[in-house]
Amino acid sequence: MAESKSIEAPFDPRWLDGVASSCGRLHLGTPQLLDLYFERRLELRVRALDGTVQLEESRAEGTAARWRFPSRSVLYARTGVSAAVLAELIGHGAPQAHLPEGRAMPPAELDPPHGWREWASELANRLRPARPTIIYMARRAAVVRPGSWAAVGVPDLVRVHVAGASNGALLAVWPHPELPRWLRELATPPPRRVWVPPSGHELPVVFAAGTAGALLHELLGHLVESDLAASGASPLAGLAGSSLAPASLEVSDDPTRHELPGAFSCDDEGVPAQPLPLLRGGVLVGWLCDRIGAERLGSVPGRGRRGSFSRPPTPRLSNLVVDPGATPPDALERDLRHGLVVTRVAGASVDPISARAVIRVERGFEVVRGRRARPLAPCALTGRVLELLTRFDPAIGSDASPEWRLGWCVKGGAPMPTGSLAPTLLVHRLEVL
Amino acid sequence: MQPLPPNTSESTPATVLARLQHAATVARDLLTHSGAPRWEVFAKSSLTREVEVGEAPPLSVIHTEETGVAVRTVREGRTGFASASGLETGAARTAIGAALALESRTPVDPLPPRRLLAASPVAETAALPARGWAQHTAGELAGELAGGSGGRLKLLRAVVQEGSFGWLLATAEGFVVTHAGSRVGLMAELLVGEDRRAVWREWAHIPDPDRLDCSSLASQISDRALLTCAPTIADAGSRDVLLHGEVAAHLLAALVPLFLALPNRRDPLPPLLDREGRLAAPKLTLFDDRTSSRVPVVGPSDGEGFPTRRTLLLEDGIPRHRLASYRDAQLSGEGPRGGAVRLSYRDYPSSGVANLQVETLGGDPPTRILAHTDRALYLLRPLAPVEVDLVGDAYRLVASGVWLNRGRIRGWQPVVELRGRLGLLLRRIEAVGTDLAWYQTDAGFVGAPTLLVRRQPVMG
Repeated sequence: MAESKSIEAPFDPRWLDGVASSCGRLHLGTPQLLDLYFERRLELRVRALDGTVQLEESRAEGTAARWRFPSRSVLYARTGVSAAVLAELIGHGAPQAHLPEGRAMPPAELDPPHGWREWASELANRLRPARPTIIYMARRAAVVRPGSWAAVGVPDLVRVHVAGASNGALLAVWPHPELPRWLRELATPPPRRVWVPPSGHELPVVFAAGTAGALLHELLGHLVESDLAASGASPLAGLAGSSLAPASLEVSDDPTRHELPGAFSCDDEGVPAQPLPLLRGGVLVGWLCDRIGAERLGSVPGRGRRGSFSRPPTPRLSNLVVDPGATPPDALERDLRHGLVVTRVAGASVDPISARAVIRVERGFEVVRGRRARPLAPCALTGRVLELLTRFDPAIGSDASPEWRLGWCVKGGAPMPTGSLAPTLLVHRLEVL
Repeated sequence: MQPLPPNTSESTPATVLARLQHAATVARDLLTHSGAPRWEVFAKSSLTREVEVGEAPPLSVIHTEETGVAVRTVREGRTGFASASGLETGAARTAIGAALALESRTPVDPLPPRRLLAASPVAETAALPARGWAQHTAGELAGELAGGSGGRLKLLRAVVQEGSFGWLLATAEGFVVTHAGSRVGLMAELLVGEDRRAVWREWAHIPDPDRLDCSSLASQISDRALLTCAPTIADAGSRDVLLHGEVAAHLLAALVPLFLALPNRRDPLPPLLDREGRLAAPKLTLFDDRTSSRVPVVGPSDGEGFPTRRTLLLEDGIPRHRLASYRDAQLSGEGPRGGAVRLSYRDYPSSGVANLQVETLGGDPPTRILAHTDRALYLLRPLAPVEVDLVGDAYRLVASGVWLNRGRIRGWQPVVELRGRLGLLLRRIEAVGTDLAWYQTDAGFVGAPTLLVRRQPVMG
């Protein structure tokens, strides 16, 4: 009955079988049970404090049921996973339902891997005096639809926050072979003597070291979410099939890349993970849809993600992946007479009122006659979304780097881990603010 | 022991508090036998209803009930913290077991002594609105917005968030404080203009739903949203700047570290003060207050049991007091005054503001402030987090704004950057408006009005 038996179930699979069978027997008329969602989370935090290290643990579990009534759709969510909780949530739509007895015992405790606390404590001491916080996050979930269930497998994650001079953050799958290198980069203080690019100038900008992933996350990733597209709130709404970018730019959303933080085995509505092309040959070909969005746009579901058990699934990006090209990344800088190369982005956003993107650059360099010159002061770059997409150079870097700094994406107040993997890309013109 | 009182979708403050007291009793029994001489239990229950009203049915409704217990323990120079969801015996057992297992060495005892703890009287928050209020309000708001804007604004959706919650804090020394309250907020998303695809989102704190004036709320939203319909222009230079309350709120949120006593850092405040000891112009007074029913976060004590009060942070531009958790106050050598916040039961109580507020008594109506500007930039909305370098005395603010000339609109600039010295920005605040509204920021809730700042470097 389970659609994804290879993923560790968060609760007893026999109990989930029983729940799915019971739901399958529910009257499928009115109201209609859309799905049940069970979730367990563990968060372990390590903080460096005044010569000591403090450990904090948080465990949470919850259940949610989604019902469709004639005039409204309703999500009921409650802390806990038990027969009583389930009976209450099912009772809102089917008071007479027969449900399996007993507690949904998990097959194993949700615990951090052996040695993680020691690793994190040692790291916290090493990162002083930058006031670091190191967080281990694990989530196990299952989605039950009438007659079937699926375990939602997601990678365990590690987040690191550093305050002070080298202020920054990291989000990565735990364990990741590149983690030591990223942590060294995170702890590197900013350069002292920096160049402030002149405001109002338009310059070519090379996005290196995976930062193009953060840029395309905003320019494309959010704007192809089906809720924004269906309501007309996205500047890309109605542009499916249009050529938006150079033909060499191939972008997809891929939750099957398990080395990236946005991976899952199936989404939080039980749809098995599949890569989804977004730009093919520069043409807009895909929307990120939850089940409701897929109905509205006539597209495929598979991107319904929940910030927690108490929030409904909404269409969200998983891992944005840009296919590498054949151009050596250095060549993209070598051809610049005067421009910028960005190596670290502090954040980016698209203003829904003006459809302009604002990219906050944290680190980079001025490029003069193909060579990196002065280190860049933190600055902001801007441009209109549709114009920026057309300004990507057709030459695509042959490298592909994950963006490990900006994975924690917040939409509508709901944070979500996402990932990106992108080669070095050149944007012909961006305005310096 | 009595069994856990049942939870129902129609929970009252009394039933919520009964459930919290049960959880605290269970935890007390377990902790008494744990060998930890000093401990603290925090239990919280939240019931929220969120109704999303779109242009057409169906309605989207979310009913959520979230509960949890957090425990701090101290013994023999070691301390632990852990939380678990639920109010049942198992939740308390899980949290206590983990807190004891994770105990680590602590330089100070983080739990405040009993003599410092008390509960202040607080005003009761308004009752939650009746069912159907969200649909009614959304319908009325849609009509007001469309009518008041001549059809140029169209409500796409309104999301009404209604929450009732209760919390309890108990210590080994017998101190117990409880609180039950409610909060209502509304997020409106509207389409601006007939020929362009522009979306404006606005959030409003609604202290008393029964007295909500939809016409006034619609004006508040449309006044700002319609300014973006002006022709686009670009300008730059040293200009007078009007900060809308939302922009002012995010600027003040970035300054919050100045008003906290935080250990392990060089105090950034002294280099920012002028010869008279001023951080800002005399027009600016800031305080933090949880006792009023008009603010978003109301409570009789802070997150550790210190009695709440109106804490003056900045008086006529001069820094007065700082907020801190008990641990941070000890480590930074400040006298403990309270100031610990718990964003959720899952979070360790940390130094922070609950409701940072600008004093608007003696302020000017925004129309009068407008009349006193010549060529000015009115910043409507931040487009990125406001960045301040407290050590380097610098700020950077990216926003959208409209250019004004003698109170008349010259045009809209979709993206503009201000960059300069933070001290000069704060000391050039010349007028404070009376139009205070509440905004959600990274540093908590901030209540801010329009501010007029003279001569700031606008980058264009």
